[in-house]
Amino acid sequence: MINFKVNGIEISAKKGESILDAARRHGIYIPTMCYLPKTTPNASCRMCSVEVEGQDGFVLSCNTPPVEGIEVTTDSETLYKERQNIMKMYNVNHPLQCGVCDKSGECELQNKTLEFEVDEQTFAVRDQYRKKKKWGVQTYDPSLCIMCEKCTAVCNEVVGSSALFIKPGGYKSEIDINLADCISCGECVSVCPVGAMASTDFKYTANAWELKRVPSSCAHCSSACSLYYESKHTANSNREYDAKIYRVTNDADFTSLCGAGRYGFDFENRVQTKDEEAFALALDKFAQAKNVVFTSQITNEELYLLKKLQEKFGFNLVNEEARAFQNFMKNFASTAGETLYNATLKDIAQSDFIVTVGASISRDNPMIRFNISQAVKHNKAYVATIHPIVDGEIKKLVTQYIKNEVGSEEAALAMLADTFVEDKSSQKEFFESIDLGYLSGESNISEEEIALLKHFSSRKKSRVLVIGEDVINHPQAANIAKIVGFLQKSGAFKVVINPTNTNTLGVCLISNLDEAEEGFTIGYNTKADFTLSAKGDGDLDMPALNQQEGTFVNIDKDLVTLNAGVVYKGYELNDIANALLGLRAQSVIEYTHQLGFKDIKFDELVDGVLNPAGEIVRGYKIESQPVKTQASIDEVAELGEYNGSVIYSVNPINQFNQFTKDSEHLGAKTELVGSLQFAIAAKISSGDDVKFSINGTTYLRHFRVDRKLTGTIAFNPSFDQDNKSANYRYNQVKIEVTNE
Amino acid sequence: MSLEAFNNRNVNEGDYFLVDIEDYPTDGWGKFKRVVKRTFKGELFVGLWVVLREMIKFDIHTVQYPEEKMPIGPRYRAVHEMKRLWESDAERCIGCGLCEKICISNCIRIDTRIDENSRKEVSEYSINLGRCIYCGYCAEVCPELAITHGGEYENASDQREHFIMYEDMLTPIDKMKAGAQLEFEGFGSITPHEDERVKKTPLAY
Repeated sequence: MINFKVNGIEISAKKGESILDAARRHGIYIPTMCYLPKTTPNASCRMCSVEVEGQDGFVLSCNTPPVEGIEVTTDSETLYKERQNIMKMYNVNHPLQCGVCDKSGECELQNKTLEFEVDEQTFAVRDQYRKKKKWGVQTYDPSLCIMCEKCTAVCNEVVGSSALFIKPGGYKSEIDINLADCISCGECVSVCPVGAMASTDFKYTANAWELKRVPSSCAHCSSACSLYYESKHTANSNREYDAKIYRVTNDADFTSLCGAGRYGFDFENRVQTKDEEAFALALDKFAQAKNVVFTSQITNEELYLLKKLQEKFGFNLVNEEARAFQNFMKNFASTAGETLYNATLKDIAQSDFIVTVGASISRDNPMIRFNISQAVKHNKAYVATIHPIVDGEIKKLVTQYIKNEVGSEEAALAMLADTFVEDKSSQKEFFESIDLGYLSGESNISEEEIALLKHFSSRKKSRVLVIGEDVINHPQAANIAKIVGFLQKSGAFKVVINPTNTNTLGVCLISNLDEAEEGFTIGYNTKADFTLSAKGDGDLDMPALNQQEGTFVNIDKDLVTLNAGVVYKGYELNDIANALLGLRAQSVIEYTHQLGFKDIKFDELVDGVLNPAGEIVRGYKIESQPVKTQASIDEVAELGEYNGSVIYSVNPINQFNQFTKDSEHLGAKTELVGSLQFAIAAKISSGDDVKFSINGTTYLRHFRVDRKLTGTIAFNPSFDQDNKSANYRYNQVKIEVTNE
Repeated sequence: MSLEAFNNRNVNEGDYFLVDIEDYPTDGWGKFKRVVKRTFKGELFVGLWVVLREMIKFDIHTVQYPEEKMPIGPRYRAVHEMKRLWESDAERCIGCGLCEKICISNCIRIDTRIDENSRKEVSEYSINLGRCIYCGYCAEVCPELAITHGGEYENASDQREHFIMYEDMLTPIDKMKAGAQLEFEGFGSITPHEDERVKKTPLAY
């Protein structure tokens, strides 16, 4: 702790904290234009200048750490003049089209211009023609740009794609883009303090003050990021009832969103009436159902109701994808000594040594990628990915690609455990059975690669292991989970296991899942004999996840809250439960405190950014429970052969499920993408229509060669399927060409 | 009739005379006497005679609405007018949404979008005249003098939809081409000598 004075008030700063951060944490205001707390300071605006007693000139508070005992003044006559001059400079030739500017008053430039009372302009320079640009999801208007560099900082540090860069040229300098690297996340749009960077689809459609903000959580992947749905009526509709979501925003200073969260918001069920006939039918069907199949895109409360219905009617609760994860976590707990993994996304961002196994990090959960990027940029983290595909998408983040043979994840983890675990006494048999030479031959990972990894880890302080879906759905998942559990217990790594769907972790913690039996099946958001669907294509309509209140358990093990962004007019699961069980709950959130976690009511949960210092609270953390028994790890099994055309089930960036599929802002493409090498091996060419089947599902796809890809594995998207598969993601297939 | 008649609000100039009114009776006997007196005096016929006399004379002092209409002052606030630009005949409205925001009876609705030239374009503009209270805030707040109040106060209709016709409010293109668009002088308009008061932006190059 460093103690110093700001404006005569004693405050203290943590080690490495800047004067600005310390002051803000203590509620002292220092104006800034370019400062973005989640990135390193750009120091381009110089608004945050402060005076330090005994120092000549100004000190930039954003990138200067305090020294014990200094006295800082944040406001004085000279500082005011200085800041006023800075604002005058910013206003040179800034167009005065505030009336139609997309920022509509949420403008940092406007605020600070008024704050420092810039009422006349004493500087001038010849203006020049600057062309507006359209870059996919964002449009850029250089004449509005103030070159604060927030967008480039966020693209480089947080997203890690470095698509945006500064084209220098003095007064002519502007932002430019390398479109091939852009992942359409819209982070640049969210941090822009003026109207220069705007969303293409949102631009000029609504004024900020007309939009009603509802805080909620994203429903697309297991990160369940905090966001705001901003909705408005349209010109020819009633005020509240027909509101639709115009955009999604976030607390851009502290939190991030990926493209699916920011642009994939239009998945609400626009059903207009309550279909009483279908509802009555649904009540009958529940009584005769043998199975209820559901996806993990469900709130904890709805699942709780399904469980209550199960108690009465005795049907099987089926969710294969969540059951695979549940089994994985069970086996994990048997060696880890506790029920849950011990790292969070924040731990990834703060670590300096990261190994990922079996995860397509920018596609399965973009926040893993974002946090790895922050670790790389802020802590110079060493990142190694063990994956059969060398993913060019993350080449700017990864230090070491370790390419393993398809199906050899178990061997890879065994090698990792053998190298990193120090105290092997409790799993002696397993470690004695490991033959590194054999595993190396089987998995195609050389011993040198692992040795290199070990070598670079020696000086690192915090190591994180990220476990992805390939491993969770691996044929050998049970034993792999035990190895991962032991890696956590031994302290070699902190572990994050990426839940395979939005609320998979919540589903696993709340319910016991069964296997499906022969008989009548009700599907919730998945096609069955009787379908309850939030897509609006089933037998009875259900509210989509942006139309209901409830909670999720996300990857960070936080119980996060959902609020309704738009009105829903049909029947809910709560109505079914009320009718069948004689309950009287007005809404599902009356069950939140009964979920089995903590006895806290929904309305008492706090979720979001709390204060200007960036304190984030997301509901409450679900505690890991100790497990007494200790299982022993089995020997590494022999590998299956994966020859010929191998297809990897993975969604393209910003696509996750059937709800993102139909988003008009995301533009889904369900095509098979492979490298040229794959095309030659499979004897198909770019533009062919192909047919193949994976685990009984037949796919008709358009094939496209992506020159950025290498290797002999093609990507097949699965977001157009109802439910996520619980099968191993790599499959050997026979590809038929079906061109007409 | 000139505008002076409307602008002159000095009510004291005319010839006033006091009306001779008896004191009101306070007791029952007095009230009874008044009733008897009024009943037999035939006051009703006095009034009827005046009406009959004036009718025969055809010396009519009232305005013959709807054939005749009183002129309306420029600051009168009746049905809105949407103006066009003199230079291009394009609509003046830039879609800033301030009128929608300031409207205290929530009767203005705007939808905007981006047009092919990357400019803001108004795709839907409606004023629910059935709900409008003609307060004039929209005209006052408009930065472009695009929305003003006109003198059209007759908006009875048997269809509610007729109360929101944007096309009816917009200056017709033939009228515009003929140069017949009336500029607004009332609420929110700039004062005639505004040019002299505007400060120039310093362009030192």
